[in-house]
Order: sequence, then C-alpha cells, then structure tokens
Amino acid sequence: MDFGYKREEEEFRKRLCAFLDQELTEKIARQNWEDKGVGPEAREFSRKLASNGFLGMSWPKEYGGQGLSPTYDFILLDELGKRWGAHVPLDVGYTMVGHTILRRGSEEMKKEFLPKIVRGEIEFCLGYTEPNAGSDLAAMKMRAIEEGDVFIINGQKTFNTEAHYAEYHWLAARTDFNLNIPKHKGISLFIVDMDSPGITVRPLWTMSGERTNEVFYEDVRVPKNRLVGEKNKGFYYMMEAIDSERNHVFTPCRLMPILNDLIRYAQETEFNGKSLALDPRVQDLLAQAAIELEVAQVFAEHSRWMESNGIPMTYEPEVTKNFVSEMEQRLVNAGMQILGLYSQLEEHSKWVPLKGRIEWYFLHSFMTTIGAGTSEVGRNVIAQRGLGLPRA
Amino acid sequence: MDFKFSDEQKMLQESARSFLKTECSKTFVREMEKDEKGYSPELWSKMADLGWMGIIFPESYGGIGGDFLDLIILLEEMGRACLPGPFFSTVVLGGLTILEAGKESQKKELLSKIAGGELILTLALTEPSTTQYDPYWITVKAQLDRNDYLIEGIKLFVPDAHVADYLICAARTKGELNSKSGITLFLVEAKRPGIKWEPLKTVARDKQCEVAFKKVKVPQENILGRLDEGAAQIEKIIQKAALAKCAEMIGGAQFVLDMCVSYAKEREQFGRPIGTFQAVQHHCANMLIDLEGGRYITYKAGWMLSKEIACTMQIAAAKAWVSEAYKRVAILGHQIMAGTGYMEEHDMPLYSRRAKGAEFAFGDANYYKKIVAKEIGL
Repeated sequence: MDFGYKREEEEFRKRLCAFLDQELTEKIARQNWEDKGVGPEAREFSRKLASNGFLGMSWPKEYGGQGLSPTYDFILLDELGKRWGAHVPLDVGYTMVGHTILRRGSEEMKKEFLPKIVRGEIEFCLGYTEPNAGSDLAAMKMRAIEEGDVFIINGQKTFNTEAHYAEYHWLAARTDFNLNIPKHKGISLFIVDMDSPGITVRPLWTMSGERTNEVFYEDVRVPKNRLVGEKNKGFYYMMEAIDSERNHVFTPCRLMPILNDLIRYAQETEFNGKSLALDPRVQDLLAQAAIELEVAQVFAEHSRWMESNGIPMTYEPEVTKNFVSEMEQRLVNAGMQILGLYSQLEEHSKWVPLKGRIEWYFLHSFMTTIGAGTSEVGRNVIAQRGLGLPRA
Repeated sequence: MDFKFSDEQKMLQESARSFLKTECSKTFVREMEKDEKGYSPELWSKMADLGWMGIIFPESYGGIGGDFLDLIILLEEMGRACLPGPFFSTVVLGGLTILEAGKESQKKELLSKIAGGELILTLALTEPSTTQYDPYWITVKAQLDRNDYLIEGIKLFVPDAHVADYLICAARTKGELNSKSGITLFLVEAKRPGIKWEPLKTVARDKQCEVAFKKVKVPQENILGRLDEGAAQIEKIIQKAALAKCAEMIGGAQFVLDMCVSYAKEREQFGRPIGTFQAVQHHCANMLIDLEGGRYITYKAGWMLSKEIACTMQIAAAKAWVSEAYKRVAILGHQIMAGTGYMEEHDMPLYSRRAKGAEFAFGDANYYKKIVAKEIGL
C-alpha cells in the first residue's frame, strides 16, 4: 500500500502550482466553472496550459501527449479545483470524449481530433439527454438514417451544456429502429460540426445562472466517417467511458476553496465580540465538512488508482460521484447556516459575504446530484454492480 | 498510489480469516459474553503461536516486525469475527505503549512476553469524573513516598482489567485536574495489594472494569516514559488505539454488509427477493459507501502512521467517520434483517452492540470533530 506520489509527480505539481498561481485568474476560473461559456480568456488559458506542457501528460505520444500515467491529469484537475477552476477549460473534449476517440475511433479520427484536444484548442458538447430520455438514456429517439455517404439526423436534445461554444457535438442517436431488440443496442455515436446546416441551439437558463441548451436537428447531414467506432455500439462506448468520466469530473478538490473560504470567514468574523471560529456550532459544521472531504479524497484516490493501473472499475467511481456530489450539498448547507441571514445575499449585493460564492453554490449544488446521473440511479448501480443485488 | 496489499499481507488476511472462522464461531462469541474471563486461554495461546501478539513489535523484542497496516489487517479480521478477549488491550493499549514509552529493559522483558502470549496488559486511563471523553482529565493521584509512588483513585472503563497481569495507569503526579502537564504513566502489576476491580455490564458485553487503587505502592522504576510528561505519550497511544479500533469496526461493518446482501438475495416477499427493491438496494449502497470510505481513510492513516508522516487529521477523520459509519451500517443492517435480526440469537445484535461500544472507545465523532476544528485553524 502506498498513498504517496512519486517524486516526478510532485515536481510536476510544483511547476503546475507556480504556473496556476500566476495565470489562473478569477475570471478564467469562473468562465471555467460556471458554464456561462468559455470566453476568450479561458480559451487563451487553455492554450497556455498546453504550451507549458500541463495538458496531455497521460496521452499517447503519437497524438501529441507524453505517454505517462493518468495521475498527471488528476494532479492537474486537483490543482485547478483548489483554485476554483474545477476542470480544464475545454473539459468535455479533454476529460470525456477524447478518451473514447482514443479507444474506439478510427485512425483518421484520432489524427484529426486528438492533437487538437491535447493542445487545448477544441471543445465538444455532449449530446445525450433528450426530453424523454433522462435517467432512461437508452430511450432516446433522435434518428440517424444512412443515405449514401451520409447519415441524415433529425430530433431534439436537451441540457447540452456546452453547445453554444463547442465546435463539435458528441451526439448519440438511434441507428436501429427495430422494436424487437433491446433499446440500448440501436444507438450510435457521431461527431457533428456544430455549424452544420440544420442545427439550432436555444439557450436554457438554469437557476444558478448557468447556460445550458436545447439542440434541434433538422435533416442534418453527417459524413459517414464521423461515425465513432461501429454502428449500434454507441451505448456501450458511452457506458465504458462513464467510470473514467466520473473520476475526472467529480474531484473532491473543487470543494476545498468553499471550505477554505468558510474557515477564513469564521476566523475573520466576530459576532457580539466573539470570533465565529470559537463558536462550537461553527466548529462542528466545518469539522464535519473537513472530515467528509478527507473521506471524499480517499474515495477519489481509490478509483483513480484503479483507472491508472487499468483495473476494471465497476461501481467505484459511482461511489466517488455520489459521495462528492452529496457532500457538496451538505457543505454548502453548512456554509449557509454559518453565514446565517447574510447567506441569502447574492453577488454584488450590498453586504454580501464571500462574494456570494456560497449563495451561488447553494443554487448550483442542486445540479450535482442530478447531472451525469442521479444519486438514485447511482445507488442502483452500486447495489447491482457492486454488491450483485438482482435487478427488478 | 497503490491500494494493493502485499502478498504477505494478503496471506495474513486470508489465514486470519480462516483461522477465526474455525476457532471463533458465533456460538463461542456468545459463550464468552457470559464467561467470567471473557476469553479462552487455549485460543489465546494458539493466537500467540501464529505470531499475532508480536505482529507489530520489532524482531529484537520477540515480535515479527510488522507495521501498523499489518496490525490493521489483523484487527479487521478480529472485528469481522467479533473475537472476544484481551488482544486489543494487550497488544495495542499495553504493548504499543511500552514500545513507545518504555525503557530498553522494559521493552526487552515485557514485549517478548507479550509476543509469546504470556502476558495480558491493559491501560487504565479514563475516570468517573468526566462523561465526555477526555483522556487528559486525570484525578487519580500518584504521590512519592520515599522510593515508591502511592497511587490512589478510581479508573473506569478499563478493558480486561479482570484478567490483566499489568495495568498501565495514567496518574497525576503534579498540576491541575485537567492539565496536560503533570501526568505520569506507571506500569503496575495487577495483583499489587490495594487494587480492586469490578467488571461493568456493557452493551457490547465486553469486559470493561472499574479499577480502584487504594494506596497502591509502585516503585519509581516502574514509570513508563518521563515523569510528569505522560500526556504526549497518551496522545500517541490514543491516536493508535483509535485507528486500531477503526480497523476492528470496518471488519464488523463488512460482515454486516455481507450478511445483509446475501439475505436480500434470498429472502422473498411479494414474490421476489427483497434485494430487487430499490429501497433495499439503496440501503445496501449506503452501507457500502459508509464502509468503504471508512476503510480507505483507515488504511491511509495507517500507512501514514507507518511512514511516520504527521496524520492527526487523518486519524481524527477516520475515527469520526467510522464511529458514525459503523453505527449507520448497523442500523440499516437491522432494517434489512427486520424481525429476525432483532432476535437475541441472531448475529446482527452482536454487531450493533459492538458498534455502539466502539463508537465511544477512545473518543467519539464529537471528540474528533473538536480535534479537526483545531487542525483546520478554528
């Protein structure tokens, strides 16, 4: 057993920290995380991350990477998270889609997309969810019909968060309409240029002010070489990618700045002549959060270790996802209790504490136990795949 | 990063599990709950033959030179089996304290005997005057009387005192009641005149005792560590004991989860196994999350401890988490086992009763949250 990092990994972290402390401004971090849309600053930051050698450490050399362990990418995510960064600026391509292209894409597809992903130049948006296919994702209806050398695609996606700034849609659509086969066996994955004729993107505004989108397809023609891997295997590719995605998206470190802000607030705030840091109730809430953060980290360390060593993951990243997302809600709730009446103040309001971050996180945290799969579906997965309990 | 056990550790885990499966049946566990001694000397000597009592002591003291993770692996199996007896008291509370604080001669003499299964030890630390756990609240006095100390006062919740050969007693040699300075550890032969013990009736039916010291004469050379500076040693002992207790608890929690999962697969209601119901599945998933979080944080702290990396935070997090987690696992276990698990003869109560006892041993979640609060700068 070994819970430490290698010397080279620690050196990488040190160089990275120096870079981030210099380059990662609040503006970039928020463009990164709040999904209002990655702006020019975050795009520029993304290219700088790459040109300074912080992107692509774990990617194969032939596609512009360094061929090292995924541990380096996890270190990158951790250090971004500690600084409100939460993920790399163009993270759907880098932490989700790219891995599937690497595993399942044709050589032509890999050569076209991977070097650009590794250089931090392009972004994808996930096109999975539909109005009637949420937790039951395999029920999707979007139709892709082969005609000559293209697929003609029609239908609607929803909650496609990066659609208004991504260059490419990572689209799942039905390619087998036989009602006698299981519905997950007729789905394929495509890479679609977002500027293809027939695509309409409409904003959906979330309660925390982030933008997500509905995406409509009307006779959109997608070349056949943009089919990812084999036809009708898309759902399997989505599922085989899901564990790694959870490992890369639900990083406990992104909760650290919230906790640290609250600790600082408690240290610096007095009520009735007494420091909040000495209030047993405040101590209890923050200590509980710090304990849970320690536990969240070992969950993450465990599932990352599995991924880094090619050990098949079945339910472990699901545990991390569940824990981190629910912990986020508990942490934010603790924060709201500590701020009391002030917790209701929004950013830019007179008297707002901590720049309104806790209030924003309160609104945002409703999403974490829903996005990328609800906690309830997650618990089904843990029970069925982790513990072998029978399906209904 | 590496979460794998070494081959030797895997062997230790497997051999301990199979040994305890045959030697420590639930029938035996129940017998020992009623037994006056609470352990079987025959099993005790078999455990010694396996090298268990010396697992964490250096070879130069008759041990096998394992590290804290090896001890954790063994304790996890003991928790799984509900092993009764004074292993924890002897090896963790007694042996590790001597290893930490003892003089070379004390280590040479006592540790090899512990490793050989010839001695039973325990730690007499907590007292009646505090209900909240506070290992530094020491009122038991030790006063110098020519070349000897006279110990006077009452210790409470002293595990296995009734069978111990030696008690390590924390007594006040100086200072205020709740002061960290002025505490000294004494190695006291349990049969010294003036010592009276009485077992308490506890929820886990483990053998915790009241120990009354009445002018118990202890020679000066029996001081463990430095005069008046025992608090620093107590802090280290409590940390190790708390983490060791976590290991026992996750072993127990794993047994409960395994038992519930196999029951949920077999037990049918409404014409199908109850394990197909999402309500039951989610209970099981929650148990797994609680358990695995506890396990990894325990391993991590154990690894840090064995590497001598500062880990006050991780140990506090482990005991705070596992104390609550095992309790929740036991509660959900009862919910899944329902009526049958409420029966005295069922295995479930063996675990839920121990979960409750262990929750408070060496500090509960509230105690450790105070430590964490300090660690994060509050």
